[in-house]
Amino acid sequence: MNALGVAERAVSAARGDALAHVAHERSLMLRFADNRPTQATAIDDVTVELAVVREGHVGRASTNDSTQEALAECARRAEAAAEAAAATSPPGPHPGFATTAARGDPAAARRHRGHDAATAALDPATGGAALRAAFAAAEPAGLSAHGIWSAAEEVRAVATSAGGLALDRTTDAFMKVICIAPDGRSGYASRTAVAAGQLEPEWLAERAAAKAAAGGEAAELAPGEYPVVMEPNAVGWLLDLLGITAFNGLAHAEERGALTGRLGDLVAAPSINLADSPRSPATLPRAFDAEGTPKRPLPLIQDGVARAVVHDRRSAALARTAPTGHATAPGGDPLGPHPVNLVLAGGGAGDVDELCAPVERGVYVTRLWYANVVRPKETLITAVTRDGTFLIEDGRVTRPLRDLRLTDSVLGILGRVEALTGAQELTSDGEFYGRRFAYGVVCPGLRATAMRFTGAAG
Amino acid sequence: MDAAARRADYADARFVSTRVERLSTRNGALDMLDSDESAGIGVRVRVGGSWGFAAARGSERRDAEGALERALAVAAAQPAVAAAPLAPEPPARGEYESPVERDPFAVSLEDKLGVLAAADAGLRTDPDVVLTLARFQAFRVDKLFASTEGAMCRQRLTECGGGLTAVAVNGDESQTRSFPASHGGHVAQAGYEHFAGLDLAGEAPRVSEEASRLLRAPACPAGRRTVVLAGEQLGLQVHESVGHAVELDRVLGREASYAGTSFVPANGIGSFRMGSDLVNVTADATNPGGLGSYRWDDEGVEGRAVPIVRGGVLAGFLSSRETASEIGLDRSGGCMRADGFARQPIVRMTNVNLEPGDAGSLEELIADTEDGLLIETNRSWSIDNRRLHFLFEGEAAWEIAGGERGRLLRNPSYAGLTPEFWAGCDAICSPSEWRLVSLLECGKGEPGQLMRVSHGCAPARFRDVEVGVA
Repeated sequence: MNALGVAERAVSAARGDALAHVAHERSLMLRFADNRPTQATAIDDVTVELAVVREGHVGRASTNDSTQEALAECARRAEAAAEAAAATSPPGPHPGFATTAARGDPAAARRHRGHDAATAALDPATGGAALRAAFAAAEPAGLSAHGIWSAAEEVRAVATSAGGLALDRTTDAFMKVICIAPDGRSGYASRTAVAAGQLEPEWLAERAAAKAAAGGEAAELAPGEYPVVMEPNAVGWLLDLLGITAFNGLAHAEERGALTGRLGDLVAAPSINLADSPRSPATLPRAFDAEGTPKRPLPLIQDGVARAVVHDRRSAALARTAPTGHATAPGGDPLGPHPVNLVLAGGGAGDVDELCAPVERGVYVTRLWYANVVRPKETLITAVTRDGTFLIEDGRVTRPLRDLRLTDSVLGILGRVEALTGAQELTSDGEFYGRRFAYGVVCPGLRATAMRFTGAAG
Repeated sequence: MDAAARRADYADARFVSTRVERLSTRNGALDMLDSDESAGIGVRVRVGGSWGFAAARGSERRDAEGALERALAVAAAQPAVAAAPLAPEPPARGEYESPVERDPFAVSLEDKLGVLAAADAGLRTDPDVVLTLARFQAFRVDKLFASTEGAMCRQRLTECGGGLTAVAVNGDESQTRSFPASHGGHVAQAGYEHFAGLDLAGEAPRVSEEASRLLRAPACPAGRRTVVLAGEQLGLQVHESVGHAVELDRVLGREASYAGTSFVPANGIGSFRMGSDLVNVTADATNPGGLGSYRWDDEGVEGRAVPIVRGGVLAGFLSSRETASEIGLDRSGGCMRADGFARQPIVRMTNVNLEPGDAGSLEELIADTEDGLLIETNRSWSIDNRRLHFLFEGEAAWEIAGGERGRLLRNPSYAGLTPEFWAGCDAICSPSEWRLVSLLECGKGEPGQLMRVSHGCAPARFRDVEVGVA
């Protein structure tokens, strides 16, 4: 499918200031449980979103039918929406799309290495082989393997009524393996990459199996504050929630954000350097956002000091600043913009073992689960640990620990960071709701002097 | 289906057309006005023990044949396994349309925006309120289902509703109040008449005033207290700690890679205790107005009522034809649902309802409570991957002292272990207090699927609950 051509045809069907955003997904996902395949899903679908602006109000309509007739009907719905809003409300805040995607070469913004041709072939045999590798690692050890293997190609195109054009072609691949032992102990490993060839299914399965097979009776820990060592995956969960709560430019403009009145303040340990880095080869790169605004690197926290929040065109207009390329929907999502290429700089620790070395008694966390924001202005979240929680005693991991619930402020945790590993990983949980939009957080492992655990879990 | 029958042990196809309209105002201006449509075919095949599923947009024969080819290819690429037969089911035949008095898509956008604007204005009555939201949403799903066993049925489901939210800020403190529920409001399987009946404009000033008052209300103190849950918060408690826990795919370990497993054992029917003797739960796909109501599920099984808990003891599961067969049930519970044409059906909740008791009205229940908290409207939720340990926070709580509703408290969180929590249930209000509440974005499955569900419940009382945790 010619996504750019569909975008051009869609926007030309609308009158006045308009933007068309086309997302074409071709994806494959194989699920497995208990050393057997359970579900396999192949998707080939497109979403055409048309946003029309009238007097600062955005009317939006979408379809997955790219015929001229359907695009024209979609344009009529978007126009009717915008015109109804203009007729019933005072002028709205949206500045329109005249200055988003640049005229000229639509691929000019695509200066990243986010596409792999072999992955785009979506060969189900590659996935089948990955499942066999996982089963081969788990079964001989008496473990059951659960997880997914997935790969996709996403093509996104933007066309504006002002003549702007942009095209981005990306691939992504993800595999996770959870091994479960007969006693219920579990271990986790995952990898996210641009290319399916980088997933290393056998290595992932062996790593998950080693954690599930860790011996010893699971210890219990009373609620309280403990030093913590977190693997990159767990750190990624925290930073993703921070992206939604603290760096949301709409919440900031409405004076309810976690960084309202705090830009320029020390909000984390001086070792924390966090940026949105959409062109970094370590991430899943993106060329532009859902409004066609080109993406560029944006420092968010430098040496522990809050520097910026992210904006789409609406939130930028409300805040009287420039958009930063973080729209998740044309015209802006009601939840506000958020960063999708977070990179936390690494530190000086060689590995997670070195992070554990100074800890007399603490908690080692592989990953988090069911994390949810409790009070966004405080960046207060709650989550449970899962699939590899261990007790650290006298500087090393000694035995499994019953899973725990943590309830703490993300900025508070980042303020208590003592050390970071040098190596970073691209972390993701491989959640693909709605039209696939793969993203992840690049981050190291970390050690914090304290984290607040409020109870047992699991 | 003829082509599929020659190449698969079983196959089904669903043509699904979806229409969604969402409107919202934000601080008096238009926030969102979306009109979304999609249509396509999802083809599911079973070859040996392996499932394959492929989805393609369009409604032409070539679209269906292309999807069938890809479904067969992905099924063949996976390691071969043995599989249990599907539980028998008579082929679904017929047509069904959910009741609608007034088509929500036929009402003009100007009329809907007018209702929202009036409600939004009513929220902007307090200087502490920095964000106001008023929402309308409507959904229509048309489904045509066919299978290699001879099923051919068509149904149309229409849903509509909305809600209000006010966010107040004072310094570092931020508080939220919503009506009639948070997270999108209340939606029912009904027409525009349901939205019109919510009286958003009438409730808006109270919602705004409570958001502001919460800023200065004392924080919920930590300790162990009696808790009365009502409305959405009780519905969510049922959803997270009972509904998900009795999904048979989770119980059998099929969802361990994502949603998790369950503390409920597969062989626990008739013996496994889920709560006190007062606790009776039914999964009912026939409730009028419920978002979990339908004539047939997405593998052609007729919707029906299934006992889940009786007298506090496990009585059944939410199941599919495959999972029911695996534990020896005669028949599927009819709980397979898919999020549009591009996702394959998985075990989901119908309307999982807490049956009413005999404790009278909410005011009578409060009068019968010497000391406790009434917690209303969910703000945050989290539960572990076995559905055992949970932590919820409501938007607001009222202290109950000497049988009377007392002062307002902010940040009312509570935590517990599912079986202990339900064992502490010692009163449930009477049938006159029983209502369906809606949850609009229940996530499950890989790739992810969002489902709208309802839960019927009447206010209930729980003893010895840990509160003030967050």
